[in-house]
Amino acid sequence: MSNEFDADVIVIGSGALGSNAAYTLAKKGKSVIILEAGEKIPRWKIVENFRNSSKKENYNSPYPNEPWAHHSYDEQYIENTGSFELRPGMLKLVGGTTWHWAAAAWRYIPNDMKLKTLYGVGRDWPMEYSELEPYYLKAELALGVCGSDTEDQSGQGGEAWPPRSGKYPMEPEGETYLFQRLKDRIGSAGFNFIHEPNARATRAYDTRPACSGNNNCMPVCPIGAMYSGNVHAQHAEDEGAKLITDATAYKLEKGPNGDIVAVHYRSSKGDDVRLTAKYFIVAAHGLETPKLLLISDVANSSDQVGRNLMDHTGMGLTFLADEEVWMGRGAVQQGGIFNRRDGEFRRDYAAVKHAVSNGVPNMKVARRLIEQGVFGQQLDERLRDEASRWVEISTVFEMLPHQSNRVEASTTRKDALGIPMLKVHYDVDDYVKAAKPYASADFARFVELMGGTVIEDDTGWQNRDHLMGTVIMGDDPTDSVVNHECRTWDHKNLFLATTGVIPASGVINPTLTGVALSIRAAEIIDREI
Amino acid sequence: MKFSSTLLFAAGLVSASVMADDAHDLISKGQYLATAADCAACHNGTDEQRSAFAGGYTIDSPMGKIIASNITPSKQFGIGNYTEQQFADALRKGIAADGSHLYPAMPYTAYQGLTDADVKALYAYFMQGVRAVDKAPTEKTELAFPFSVRQAMFGWNLLYTDAKPFEAPQGMAANVAHGKYLSDVLAHCGTCHTPRNAMMAEDNSQYLAGAALGGWYAPNITSDKESGIGNWSQQQLEQYLKTGSVPNLSQAGGPMAEAVEHSFRFLTDSDIRDIAAYIKQVPAISTATAKVRANATPALTNINEVITGQGEQKTLADSSTVDGAKLYDNACASCHGRNGQGTADHFYPSLTSNTAVTAALPNNLVMAISHGLSRKGNDVDVLMPAFGRDMSDAQIAAVSNYVRLHFGNIDDGLTAKDVASITSGGPAPFLVRYINLLMALGAIIVLAVLFALFRRKKH
Repeated sequence: MSNEFDADVIVIGSGALGSNAAYTLAKKGKSVIILEAGEKIPRWKIVENFRNSSKKENYNSPYPNEPWAHHSYDEQYIENTGSFELRPGMLKLVGGTTWHWAAAAWRYIPNDMKLKTLYGVGRDWPMEYSELEPYYLKAELALGVCGSDTEDQSGQGGEAWPPRSGKYPMEPEGETYLFQRLKDRIGSAGFNFIHEPNARATRAYDTRPACSGNNNCMPVCPIGAMYSGNVHAQHAEDEGAKLITDATAYKLEKGPNGDIVAVHYRSSKGDDVRLTAKYFIVAAHGLETPKLLLISDVANSSDQVGRNLMDHTGMGLTFLADEEVWMGRGAVQQGGIFNRRDGEFRRDYAAVKHAVSNGVPNMKVARRLIEQGVFGQQLDERLRDEASRWVEISTVFEMLPHQSNRVEASTTRKDALGIPMLKVHYDVDDYVKAAKPYASADFARFVELMGGTVIEDDTGWQNRDHLMGTVIMGDDPTDSVVNHECRTWDHKNLFLATTGVIPASGVINPTLTGVALSIRAAEIIDREI
Repeated sequence: MKFSSTLLFAAGLVSASVMADDAHDLISKGQYLATAADCAACHNGTDEQRSAFAGGYTIDSPMGKIIASNITPSKQFGIGNYTEQQFADALRKGIAADGSHLYPAMPYTAYQGLTDADVKALYAYFMQGVRAVDKAPTEKTELAFPFSVRQAMFGWNLLYTDAKPFEAPQGMAANVAHGKYLSDVLAHCGTCHTPRNAMMAEDNSQYLAGAALGGWYAPNITSDKESGIGNWSQQQLEQYLKTGSVPNLSQAGGPMAEAVEHSFRFLTDSDIRDIAAYIKQVPAISTATAKVRANATPALTNINEVITGQGEQKTLADSSTVDGAKLYDNACASCHGRNGQGTADHFYPSLTSNTAVTAALPNNLVMAISHGLSRKGNDVDVLMPAFGRDMSDAQIAAVSNYVRLHFGNIDDGLTAKDVASITSGGPAPFLVRYINLLMALGAIIVLAVLFALFRRKKH
C-alpha cells in the first residue's frame, strides 16, 4: 500500500455487494477500508429484538433505526411525490439488507439482457450473459446457493437454462408439501413450477449450518443458515480489511484530473473524517448510492443519476384451497410459476413471475378472523382450519426504466448528521399495467384449480424492494452512469456496486446479479492497482 | 479406490497381472493404514484443494508452531527419496532421512509399535499411491530456543522410545489385542488422551485418563464408571467412532471431530468393533469429576419475562448483556431448545444429557461455544456456528455457566479470564513454563559434575 493513500480501495457500504467486493480485494492483498453508516450487531441480538418485538410483520423493527442511520421504515426517510408509495425495507448495519431477505438467488436469462434488441422496449445491457456467467458462478459460491442444475428457469419447460459453467454449490432443499400440492394441481394445467435457487445452506457451508426450516428468513434467520452480507464483511476483515462503523459517507471529493481523491464521512459523535484511496466503490444500495453521487455532484454528466428507478412492482393473491396444504413449513419461499418470464409478448406488456409464498400465515389468518368478530372456540377451530388451507401468491412485474421515476436528495429533510434524506417519485408504468389482466387471469385459474375461495385478489400495487436503474449501466456515456464494468463514465476510479446499475429489470430478484457484478468490478480494480 | 485404475495400468506395463494385484493390494492396505493412523489430520495441504499429504497444517504446540511436512513422493519437497528403512525410521524413531530429529508432534512414540508388514504397506502407499506435490508448505516450523534445537530430542528419545514392535499382553483375546494395536499404534489415542509428564512425554501411569489439548480436553476414556467411559456400551462406542455422535450422551468436537471425520468413519466395522472392545477393558483410572451441587437445579428463566430490545432505540443495538439466560435464549435455544432438550431426531443434541455439559471441566463446552463445531460423520455433516466473534469472553463465560448450572447442576463460576485462558490453548505445560529454570538447573548440574571431575583429577 502506498503511503500517499489511506487505502488502496475504500468501499462505502458493508452489505452483501460491498462486502463481497471488499473481500475479493482484501483476499488479493489490497488494503481496503469499508465504511458502514450503521453498527455491527451480533445475530443473537437481532433474534432477541425480534422475539421481543410486538410488530412481528414489520421486518425492519428488530433492527436499529438510529437518527444518523435510519432504516427505510422511518417516516421521515423517504418523501414520496409520485402516485406509488415506494418504501423498500432497507437496513443500515454491518451486513446490510440481506439480514432480512428471502435469499432468492436467480440469474438473469440471456434474453433479459437484450430487451431492446429482441422486443423493442426498455434498454439492453451493455454486455452479454456469457460475459457475466463466470461471475454468477463466483457469486453463487460466495453466497452458498442451492439450486437445480436441470430446470429451465426461463419457465418454458425446456432444457436446463440459463447456461451454467458449473454446478450449483449445493443441491436444492426438499420440496415442501405446499409446493408439491400446488405443483400437482396447478402445474398439471400447464403452469411451469420452478425451484427458486436460494442462498440457504442445505448442508454445512462456509461458516453456516444447514437450514432447519425455522421459517423466519424475514426478519432474521435465527441460526445464520441463510446468507447475509455480514458473512463477507467478516471474511473481508479476516483478510485484513478495516471496517469502520458509524461512518456515513456524505461527500466524494473530485480531484483536478477528474478522479475521485477522497471520501468524507461523519459519525454520530460529530467527527468529520476525510479518507483517500486509489479507487472508490460506492455500495450503498439503489437509493443511497445515487443520493451520495448527487450531493457530491459527481458522475452525473449524463443527468441519469437517480433516474430510471425500477422496482418489481407487484400484486398479491390470497385464497383458501379446498384441501390442507400447510403453508409455513421450511423456508419462506421455494419457487413459483414462470411461464410469463419470457416471450414475444414482452413487446407489448411486462413479464410476470408468480412466487409461492410460504411464511407461517397464522397471524394474518387470526387478524382477519378477529376483525370479522370470530372469537372463542370458534376462533381456534377456524384458525386451525384456515391456516392449513391458506395460500399466498406474490406476483412481480417487469418495470421499464423511465426518466421520471427517480430518487433525489430531499431538499426539506435531513438526518441527525445534517445529511439530506431521500425524495422519490415513482409511478407504475403502462407496460406493467398492460400485463395486469394476464396476471389476474392467472390468479383466477389458480383459485379454480385449487377449488379455492378468494380472500384477496386485487391488492393494488405493492413494493418488492428490488431497487434497480438508479445509476444505470449502458454503453453510451450520454445516457448512462456506469459502463459494463460498473465504472462511472465520469471518474475512472469510481465504481458502483449496487443493483442500481441494472438497466433491464426482468422479473427476478437482483441480489445475485449485484454480487456477481461487484466481484467482477473488484477483480477489475485489482488488476489496475 | 481412486488410484486403482491408473495404478493397475502402470503396473500392467511392467509385470504380470498377478504381481499387479499384489502390488495393488499392498498399496490399498497402506492407504487404509494411513487412514487408520490419521496421517492426513496433520499432513494434508492447506491450499484450497487440501492436496493430500502436501503438508502445511499448523500444530499449535505449547512450544510453538510446528508445521506438518510434505510427505508426498515428491523427490525435492517430499519423501520421494526415502528408502523403506528411512521411512521406517521416521515412523518409528522420529528420525528423518537426513538424520535430523522430528518433534514428537509426529506420534512416533505410538508408531514405534508398527509391524514390519504395516510399514511395508504404508511405504508402498506413500511411494506409489499418493500423487507427488512439488512444493513445500509456505510456513516453516518455528519453535523458541531451546526447543528449536532438534538435537535435544536425542536425549528425550533415549528416555521415551524403545522402537520395539507391538506385542499384545499375555492372555489377551485376539480381537482385543488387535484393538489395542489399532488404538495404541495407529489411531494413537494416547497422544491426546494420556496426560504428559513434566518432560512432555505420555505418563503411562495415567494411560488414557484424560488430558488438556489446546483448549479442548481429551476426556478420560478408561473403563472407570464415574470419570471414564465405563458406562458406555460397546455399541455406543462403535457409534461414536463412526458418526461422532451418540444421542443423549456425547458428541465429538474439536480434534476428536477431526479424528472421526478423517479416520474412524472410514475404518471397517470389524476394526471399529475391536477398538471399542479394547477401549472398554482399559483398566479404570479414577479422575476428578464435576462437583454437582447438592441443592436442586435452579429453575429456568421464563423467556416471557425477558423483555429487552424494544422501545428505546439504543437497546436494539446494545449487545453488552452478560445475562446467561438472555444469551442462551437468543443464541442457543433456536437449536438446542429453551430447556436444553435438543430436537427429537437428535440432529440438534440435547444439553441436558451431554458429556460436554457434565464433564469435570467446562473446557469443551467453552470451546464449542467459542470455536463452534464441524464434523463429517458416517451419517450427516454437522456444523455448529462459532460464537467467539458474536460474544465477548464474559458472555461466553455467562453462557457456559448458565448451561452447566441449568442443565448439569454444576456451578463453575467461570470468568472472562478463564474463557480467555481456555480459548487461547489453556495454561502452558510445566516444561514450557519452567524451561528457563530447568536450563539454569541443568547448567548448575553440568558445572557441579565438571567441578567434581576436576577435583577427582587433582587427587
